[in-house]
Amino acid sequence: MPRPPSPSIPEREFLYASLKQSLRLDGRLPLEMREPTLTFGPDLGWVDCAMGRTRVLASVDGKMVKPTPERPLEGVITIHSEISPMASSDYETGRASDEEVVLTRMLDKVLRRSDTVDKESLCVQAGQRVWHLRLTIHCLADAGNLLDCACLAGIVALKHYRRPEVEVEGEDVTIHHPSERAPIPLAMHHTPYCFTFAYFPDTTTQAVLDPTSLEQRLSAGLLSIALNAQRELCVVQKAGGVPLAPDEVMRIINVAVGKAKELDRIVEKRLQEDWSTRNVEVR
Amino acid sequence: MITFASFAAPPDDLYGHGHRVAHPIDPADDRDMDIDFDDEEFVSGSKLTVPGETLTSSHAFMRGHGTYVDNEQVIASVAGTVERVNKLISVRAARSRYNPEVGDLVVGRIAEVQPKRWKVDAGGRQDAVLMLSSVNLPGGVQRRKLESDELQMRTFFEEGDLLVAEVQAFFADGAMSLHTRSLKYGKLRNGQLVIVPPALIRRLKSHFTSLPCGVDLILGLNGYIWVSKHVKDSDREGEDGFDAEAVYSNRNDDIDCATRTAIARVTNIIRALAAHWQPLTDAVLLEAYEWAVEQDCDVKDLLLDDVAAALVASLGGQH
Amino acid sequence: MGSRVEILNDDGYRSDGRRQFELRDITMDLSPRGTADGSAMITHGLTQVMVSVFGPREAKMRAQTLHDRAVLNVEVNIAPFSTGERRKRNRGDKRILELAASIKSTFEPVVQTALYPRSQIDIYVHVLQQDGGLLQASINAATLALVGAGIPLLDLVCAVTGGVHSTSPMLDLTTLEENDIPHLTVAVMPKTGNVTLVTMETRLHVDRFGDIFKLTCDAAQVIHQEMKRAAYARTRRLVDAMDVDSKSILLTGDNVDKDTAMNELE
Repeated sequence: MPRPPSPSIPEREFLYASLKQSLRLDGRLPLEMREPTLTFGPDLGWVDCAMGRTRVLASVDGKMVKPTPERPLEGVITIHSEISPMASSDYETGRASDEEVVLTRMLDKVLRRSDTVDKESLCVQAGQRVWHLRLTIHCLADAGNLLDCACLAGIVALKHYRRPEVEVEGEDVTIHHPSERAPIPLAMHHTPYCFTFAYFPDTTTQAVLDPTSLEQRLSAGLLSIALNAQRELCVVQKAGGVPLAPDEVMRIINVAVGKAKELDRIVEKRLQEDWSTRNVEVR
Repeated sequence: MITFASFAAPPDDLYGHGHRVAHPIDPADDRDMDIDFDDEEFVSGSKLTVPGETLTSSHAFMRGHGTYVDNEQVIASVAGTVERVNKLISVRAARSRYNPEVGDLVVGRIAEVQPKRWKVDAGGRQDAVLMLSSVNLPGGVQRRKLESDELQMRTFFEEGDLLVAEVQAFFADGAMSLHTRSLKYGKLRNGQLVIVPPALIRRLKSHFTSLPCGVDLILGLNGYIWVSKHVKDSDREGEDGFDAEAVYSNRNDDIDCATRTAIARVTNIIRALAAHWQPLTDAVLLEAYEWAVEQDCDVKDLLLDDVAAALVASLGGQH
Repeated sequence: MGSRVEILNDDGYRSDGRRQFELRDITMDLSPRGTADGSAMITHGLTQVMVSVFGPREAKMRAQTLHDRAVLNVEVNIAPFSTGERRKRNRGDKRILELAASIKSTFEPVVQTALYPRSQIDIYVHVLQQDGGLLQASINAATLALVGAGIPLLDLVCAVTGGVHSTSPMLDLTTLEENDIPHLTVAVMPKTGNVTLVTMETRLHVDRFGDIFKLTCDAAQVIHQEMKRAAYARTRRLVDAMDVDSKSILLTGDNVDKDTAMNELE
């Protein structure tokens, strides 16, 4: 497995020196994230999320399946994600890299295990028919912080998706085409957002939010926090890297609380804008 | 506030198998425990440490191996005994891989043949290097190396061959460079290899010893021990009669049954002693050999736990 | 079944009879196993993990060697019989890979890898029994195994799990508790009190998180005492065994004669 070449020494020294003065190469403040751009496709649940040059496409589709015998009252959600060499030359096909493992596991934790979607509301007939939602994450380009972008794309796609209305009469199940009856949104418990902070070998350097690929490559540890606007943490993930004082961890979490509220406002606004253009088409 | 579930204290067995820990619920007992540590260290004389323990201030002392400096303190980074030479504080790990030093005698195994060099597995953190220029070639010490020698390196040493050599120098990355430029060194045959933790091999005046039972021993400082049939002094060729066939030969001499048994007995004694973490010297091995013969125990029985324990006890008892 | 069991009853006892802040009993065994340079077996209650450390040794994969430091390689193997229902996990299981990646990145800044350029240190984790706190046990066992192998560490790494049941925090959870309540694992370097690893994967309010986070950091210090004790005991045994014999060498002077016999060959 060839390792991507590490950044050259001048690049590294320059980045460390400027971060020491709280300056970032793209002009952001240390705790400023790139404004996400959300583009919705013609289909419901099709979202293209871009943060700077990092781009992730997420799409949701649903179908009817028989539920698992252990959980007859719950729908199924599966998340498919793969980092292809298309996103960045650092990745290669075949064996899952460490980055890919982290991404897949984090998506799973943030979007599925934190009970974002009410799975019981996806049940149509107990033990017979439930909705199976398939969330596919395509990483189109990686310019740093792929994880946050993928999580955002995934959660927005789930919020954007609407499933066809279903009528149950005894044993008969009728699925209404979206053109007949307006499809209904998923019942969501909460909307978690993920924030990644990068730490650097020099402990006096402040942590940066939403690292670019160069920053990520030169960092000495990442701290990912997923939380919703209601100040509920869903995932805290700091796997190794530079040791941090407990107070620093708490400080970063409080920063993330503020960011989650901001991001929530942006997402809600964009979803509303999009929906207002769509209402016309449906009838 | 934070407590353990309490349970009975276990018997303190000898080798640290299943060392259970009873933790006091009362924090007052906690303090007693610390005092116990100090007492134990005081009685035994050698000061022990584990990683992360502060040893001293970095103003008054210099840091040696097994320590690092943080926040103006010298801190231990390995578990072992603290050693002090004047102002230099170092920690010697109780157990670790072989740390080579120039002049050490090592026994190794050829791992790879590369252009102009052999890679030798000698139990270190990297394979050692034996340069073609650091070996004696057939035809006399003064002989020049030719290109043809480079092409037939495998005729001297090939993968899997065992050899005894001396550490000559180190490369910048810490890999050791060996040489076999002495008649004492070279390919090994007529015997058997035993591997023990390197800490058990003490530095001796000579690491080539022969036991009166007709067995030669090479105690490599890397913990590799070569036990072989005794070679009579007169059988060894002098400087002039450097015989290529003999030095790089792959053929074993005829070894009679008694010698074979003796070799096997010595190797099993070494294994038994190593399992009990007994340092190995020729004196100890000789004594152990006599004990084994005296007890008239079968060679293979030496590996049994109770026989090995009795052997160790007999050695400890006499001193 | 999870919700039927009372996690914490009115008298303040947990399902296995422990108090809120009570840790399960710990056993640590550092005796050598096989050809490993260092090995440790640790149990936290019913969770049992064995770790073997090999190295630093010549790197197997040439392409992966680093010219300025050693490479850490962590492999995790979960025994199929380690859980109630027997299940074989294959090596590619994402959860196992994540566990291995977490352990690896926990130790990368702690092990002084710069001392061993172009080498490789292998850490093999075998999970024999699991009843909660898998990551905790793996990290603690790996620390002890590294100590046993004489590999230089900046500090011991002590990990502990904690959870919150409605508003009451508790420590060292069993599987039963882990399935039911939000929980986190913290790995601390006790000397500085700094945290090298935090993972939490269930919904928890920020304020609650603060409580349990501080508590687990304190609990790690208690674990540290135990680990230190085990490491001292092991080192003491090895050093004592060596000491007994160093006296015997001084007493016997006859080995010198045999040495000279060999020296004459030169």
